Parts: sequence; C-alpha cells; structure tokens
Amino acid sequence: MARARLKVIASVALLAMTLPLIAACGGAGPTPTPEKVVVKETVPVKETVVVQITPTPGPKRGGTLIVGLMSPVLSLDPADYRDRQTETVIRNMFDGLVTRTKDNQVVLEMAQSATLIDPQTWEFKLKEGMTFHNGDPVTAEDVKFTFDRIITEGAIEYPEPHTAARKGLIAPLESVEVVDPLTVRFHLKAPWPVFMQMLCHQQIIPKKYFESVGGTKGFIEKPVGAGPFKFVEGKLDDQIVLERYENYYGGADDLPPVGPAFADRVIFKIIPERSSRVAALQAGEVNIIQGVPSYIVPQLLSDPRLQVKTCAGTRPHFMEVNVKQKPFDDVRVRQALNYGVNVDLILAKILSGYGVRLPGILSPFNNFADPNLKPYPFDVEKAKALLKEAGYENGFSFVIDVSADNKELAEAIAGELRTNLGLDVSVRVWDWAVLRPKLLAGERQATVGSWGDSAFDPVGYLEAKVHTYVEGSTYGRGNYSGYSNPRVDELIKAGEVETDVAKRHEIYNEIQRIVWEEAPMVFLFVPQEIEAAAANVQNWSPSPDSRINLHDVWLSQ
Amino acid sequence: MRGVKILERLLYTIPIMFGVAVLVFLFMRMTPGDPVDIMMGEAGTIAPGEMEQLRKEFHLDEPLHVQLYLFLSNALRGDLGYSYAYKKPVTELIAEQLPATIELALGALLFSLIIAVPIGIWSAVKQYSIVDRVSMAGAFLGVSMPAFWLGILLILIFSVRLRWLPVTGRIDYNAGLQVVTGFYVVDSILTHNTAALVSSLKHLLLPSIALGAGAAAMVARVLRSSMIEALRQDYVTLARAKGVRETWVVLKHALRNALIPTVTVVGIQVGVLLGGNMIVEQVFSWPGLGRLAVRAIFSRDFPLVQGVVMVYALTFVLANLIVDILYTYINPKITL
Repeated sequence: MARARLKVIASVALLAMTLPLIAACGGAGPTPTPEKVVVKETVPVKETVVVQITPTPGPKRGGTLIVGLMSPVLSLDPADYRDRQTETVIRNMFDGLVTRTKDNQVVLEMAQSATLIDPQTWEFKLKEGMTFHNGDPVTAEDVKFTFDRIITEGAIEYPEPHTAARKGLIAPLESVEVVDPLTVRFHLKAPWPVFMQMLCHQQIIPKKYFESVGGTKGFIEKPVGAGPFKFVEGKLDDQIVLERYENYYGGADDLPPVGPAFADRVIFKIIPERSSRVAALQAGEVNIIQGVPSYIVPQLLSDPRLQVKTCAGTRPHFMEVNVKQKPFDDVRVRQALNYGVNVDLILAKILSGYGVRLPGILSPFNNFADPNLKPYPFDVEKAKALLKEAGYENGFSFVIDVSADNKELAEAIAGELRTNLGLDVSVRVWDWAVLRPKLLAGERQATVGSWGDSAFDPVGYLEAKVHTYVEGSTYGRGNYSGYSNPRVDELIKAGEVETDVAKRHEIYNEIQRIVWEEAPMVFLFVPQEIEAAAANVQNWSPSPDSRINLHDVWLSQ
Repeated sequence: MRGVKILERLLYTIPIMFGVAVLVFLFMRMTPGDPVDIMMGEAGTIAPGEMEQLRKEFHLDEPLHVQLYLFLSNALRGDLGYSYAYKKPVTELIAEQLPATIELALGALLFSLIIAVPIGIWSAVKQYSIVDRVSMAGAFLGVSMPAFWLGILLILIFSVRLRWLPVTGRIDYNAGLQVVTGFYVVDSILTHNTAALVSSLKHLLLPSIALGAGAAAMVARVLRSSMIEALRQDYVTLARAKGVRETWVVLKHALRNALIPTVTVVGIQVGVLLGGNMIVEQVFSWPGLGRLAVRAIFSRDFPLVQGVVMVYALTFVLANLIVDILYTYINPKITL
C-alpha cells in the first residue's frame, strides 16, 4: 500500500512540476488576438483579390455557412470580452448604433442620425421599427441600459461582480440620457475625436429580456440581440450555431444589400490548429477559414474548389535590438543591420510575397505614414562600411530571442546577417509570456516580433513602441529595444492631444524621420491577412479588423 | 474488509489533492508572465488604470499568502474561482469539457485494447514468427510516432483525400442530439438517435486512433513479454501435459498471470490518455479539457490551470487506486 501511495504522489508531483516547464519551453501558443481601435481619420485600405471567382448572377437565399475560427470565443456578452474572434461572432448576432465599412469608414447602423450637439455631447436617433430576436422593439432605454452596464464599475454581476471588459474602449463616456423613446444623448467627460470609431465596438442588448432572464448568467446562456443572425445553440470552445433573423431591420443603409441575411444558418467552429483548419476547408467541412499561413496559399490556389483573399495587414514586424548594450548602442551598427538584411528576399521566401515592406516605424497603411520615407535599401557594402566605421569590422555575435511564432523569421534574419555581414547570430525560442518581461527589463540583445496597428493611427501604437518605457503605464509597453529619445517622447505626447490633422501629420512625420535615422530596430514588413473559402462563397471578403461579417454573404450552390 | 481498505485509500486522496493544489498554485505564480499583460495583448490603446483595475478584480494585487488563502478557502467550499478569460466559474467550465475528454480517452483505450491484446497474445504464442516481427515493429513505430503527426496524417488521408471522416469537433450540428450526460455516444443511444450515434462515432474514430496508438503499442509490448514469461512456467507445461487444449492454456493459464503487469500499464495509460490528450484535442479541435488547459497555460489563466491540473491529478490518483483494486481480483495473493 505504501508503495502504491508513493507511486501516486510521485506521479502527481511529476505532473505538477512539468507545468511551468510546459509553459516555459512551449511555443507561444494560442494567445488572444489583441485589438486596437483608436482612429482619428480613415483612408481606404487596399484589398487584393487573389482569385476572382466568376460571379454567378444574383444573391441566393439559403444554405449553411460554416466558419473556422482561429481561437475560442470567450463570451457571448457584448460587454465583457476584449478579443477579436469573440467580436466576430458577437457582431453577427448584435448590432450597434454605428458600424464600420471594410475600408474603415464609420457608417450608421441602428442609428438613423448622429449629431454632435456640443463637443462633449452626441445625440443619436434610432431607426423606427427595429426589433430584437425575441420580438421586443429596440428603444432608447435599451441603449442606455447597454452603456450603463458597460461604464458602471462592478456592474457585471456574474460570476463575481466586476467591471465590463469593454469599458476601457469607451472610457471617456460619462453618461447616457434618454430624450424620448427613440433618442439618446451620450455625455462625454471631455471632447473625444475618436468617439464614433470607438462606438463601432459596442453592441446593443435588450433591457427587458436581460432582466427577465435574471441577468448576465441567463443572458449569456441564451443571448438575444438585434443583429442579422439569432443564437440557436453552442458551446464557446466548440461550435456556435446561429440562424437568420427574418425580421431583421436590414443593417447599415450604406452597406447594401439591406435586409435579412442570405444564409439560413451560420456556424462558427473553433479550430485553433492551423493545419487542421486548412484540412477542414479542403475536406469541405467548413466554408470560410481565418489565419491561412502564406506557405499554403499556392496549394489552396491550385484547388478549383477554393478561393483565397487577402487584405491589408495590421501588424508591422521588426527586429528590435537592445540600444542600451554594446554593440547596438552605436547607431551605425543599427543602420548597418538595416542595410545588411535583404528584407524583400525574406518577404518572398517566408511570406510567399504576401506582405508589404515597412518604410519605417509606421505601417504604410497608417493614416499618418510619411510618404517620403523609403525603406532602407539592401546595400551590403554600405553596411560593411558602417560596421568598420563603428569598429566592428571583424563582426560580433548576438542572440535573437523570440517566441515560437517568429522562429522562422528570426532564423532567416540571422542567416542574412551571417552570410551578408559575417556576424555570428543565433536564435533562441521562448514562451512569449516568459520572454516579454525580460525584454522590457533590457536583459536580452535582440528580438523579432510585431505590434498591432489595426486602427491605422499612431496614437497608442507609437506610445507603446518607441516612447521611453515607463513601468506600469501604457508608455513603452512594447518598447523592446530600450529606445529612449526625449524629443520623440515629447512629440508622442503632443500628438495625443492635437486635433488639427495637418499638425498631427507634422508631428508624426518628425517622429518617423527620427526613428528611421536612429533605427532602434530593423524595419521588416507588414504581412497581409489571408483568408480562404470554398469557391461557392459569394460576396465575402476579409476585413482589416479581422471581422467576418456574414450578413451579405451567400452560397451560389 | 476490502471495502474498508478502499475507503481508507480514498481518504488518502484528500491530503494528496491538498498538496497538488498548493503546488500548482505556487508553480503557476513562479512561472513568469503576467495574466493581465497577456490579456491586453500586443497592440493598441488601453485606458489608463485599466490594468490595475483588472489586477484588483483578480486579486493579483494581494500578497501571495493572501491569494493562496483565498484560493484554498474557496476551494474547500468547492469554488475554484472564475476564469480570467472566459469570465465563468472554473468548475462550470471543467464540467462542460470533461465529458468530451473522458469520451475520447475511453475511445482511445478501447482502440488500444482491441489492437494490443490480440497482437500481444499472438506475438507471444508465435514468438519470432513473421506476425510477431511485423507487429512488434509496428508497436515500435506506434510508441515513437508523435500523436500530432499521426493525427495530421490521419486527417490528410481519411478526411481530405478520402472524405470518409470529419476533421473537427464531436458531432454534426444537424444530428439533433439531445444532450443528457454530455457523453455523445451514450446520449445518442439513450435517446435512440441513430444519426447522432453514427455522427459521434465518426467524429470519435480518428482522434481515438491518434491518441490510442501510443498506448496500444505500449500495452502490446508489455503483454507480449509477460505472456512469453508466463508460457515458460511449469504450470503451463503441466496443463499441456494433462492434455488441456492449447487455446485454453493460453487464455486461462498464461493470460491471467500475464495480466498483472499489463493492468499496471493500462492503468498508467488511462491517466496518460486523460491527461496527455492536449495535442490530440488541439489537432482535432476536440472541445475537451486538454485544449482548455493549453489555452489557460499560455494565457496564464491561473484559476483555470489550477482547476484543470487538480482534475488531472485526481484522475491519476483514481486510476492508480482502481489498478490496485484490480490486482486483488486478478491475483488473490495481493491485498490492498
């Protein structure tokens, strides 16, 4: 008996001990896809259609659309999540006052009109005759209830009282006032130019129904919204089944066709493993998949039953080097790295060309990207001359520390630097959660990674990437190079409060020039978002904020 | 007497589980990585003060001993806290996912036994024959082949190429299954739903093979060697000399005695199948505990990791207990 007990304890202890190991040695597994949503102005986003399927005449009703999602849906409560996959599902069931087109313009959705009464007050009139999936009319009371639940601290009572996760996306909102049954006013604490863009991320829930099912717990078991599809059944980690809502008011007038959705049914399947996701599409088990790896695109394109589409990516990639350590404290060395890596070659080999070169710190899709800034040319002689000038003509060695996601890219850069400049570069793989604090503490030499810029605006992005790291704040939250320039910090702060677009351009152009010159990182590229679908999926295209809006999608067979 | 012993052994699980709880709690906190930081992701604007507020809500701003006290005192009341990511009680999440994991483990176990027992016996009886060599080579392959790779291979052949079996999930949405126990195969039998039964079995088949291949190989090899051992014993020679039929000799006299090491291995494999299915669940998008655990570990969802590991630990403890009880039936000389 003693032997048996010992065996039990040993296996249990072993199990417990392997835990941190799994965490420490494993790759960066399914991490939540973050979102970024501050926009001050918008530009159309280029969308490349890789395969143009011959359009069949006229939209057709019917059929089931099955979508393979990259990561689990975390909640069915429009007030209480922060990741993109969840938003994809929620926004097919719930509508908001406003929404966004695929080229990032804000348009009215449930609102008939929106008026800025004074710099801190917006008034919305709701469309008449809208109903929730249970038949109840949509009123101003529902709008007020929705936002009160989001902005009031501790208002979400289940499973323990806490504040809505989406409060942070609308922090300046102070209160919502009901003027009449179809009119509401939003009172802000201060003028907030991005209010309408941010409002796209908030969806309306029915007050009466919410209260009748006893609050959050009941609501998330059987959620009811006013969107094109209604909830049928589903488990968050498995699949979620929705059906067309026949009495749908039609959605945004500016996003035709207006009316009920075409598909009878929509199913979201969670398929985190990408090979399985691609296999599920090839096997005809799903109609649309997200997150297609670029290397598999040629194979998918050779299959006439499939189509692939891409859209502007939102994640600029860099190799950041620790500017506080030798040899990277010398700006000439950092510039040499930029000249010495053939980024176009890497782009072609690793992303099969599905990406755009990064001219500097900002993505070329960013509304404030300086058009005069050009990527560092590939010039080995210049790189070698710079290294010689800095006293490193015999080269040096360093380690690139990365998460598993970026291993291949880091290996490619290391290979380039070895061959072109004779540097001794190696790559080490970590769990990202372990590596990140070390990078911020300046304990590593170099890393390869990316930072999200889905709002196409420098606010938030530059503050995280090149502002001096201030512990516990949002400043320098992603500054892994340890870069610190008082002038850049000053300009970032100035840009945050400046409302004049021309002045903002001036400010951001200066930041971009400084960062390009000082090169705390090797500027790489922005990969495109690649999605794939069966050939019979019509009127579908990926959007830069990675939402999959299925309202207008139809099946041709 | 046996009943009392079993009860006694069950009581021992309490301190073991307590130890596991404390260990997991400490190890998770020792692992670098801030859950709130990971939650906020690699992008964009977050409102000032938002991260502090989250830390407060999750009690991550409290000193470690206070957090441990909160965790243990709640755990005693059966409350394992709530998941940071899913905003749902951990016990509820586990209860939702556990049937899927158990169903898959049983499927894999069944597959491995169906494969391993005949092969093990046959190889021992026909030692060094072609059958023996081929099946042992196969077993060697089974042990060394990563489940991940085997899973992808099965998908490519049976789903993508032949389109016989589904790639992901547990059941077709239109099978119309009335969920009673959460075990879809059982539920479809209970509700006399043939379509659901076929669908759930089809979904179960490939993941069971991918997960069970390793176990099958292990059991086959152990059974073979203990059978060879048993077949050399004097009582087998005696039985043969008495003119007992060879089938009877093999199955009754040799197999029963060869079962002790086999049962031990199977017992350990049950624990492995239940706790080691993370990769297979990931590949086949099987909505089970393993996938939940993987996600929870990478997002440092402390309460969820703690809950899942405690379930795994309990599984090992119980599997070992059941093995020990089985010993006493197979070989009356062994007592608990």
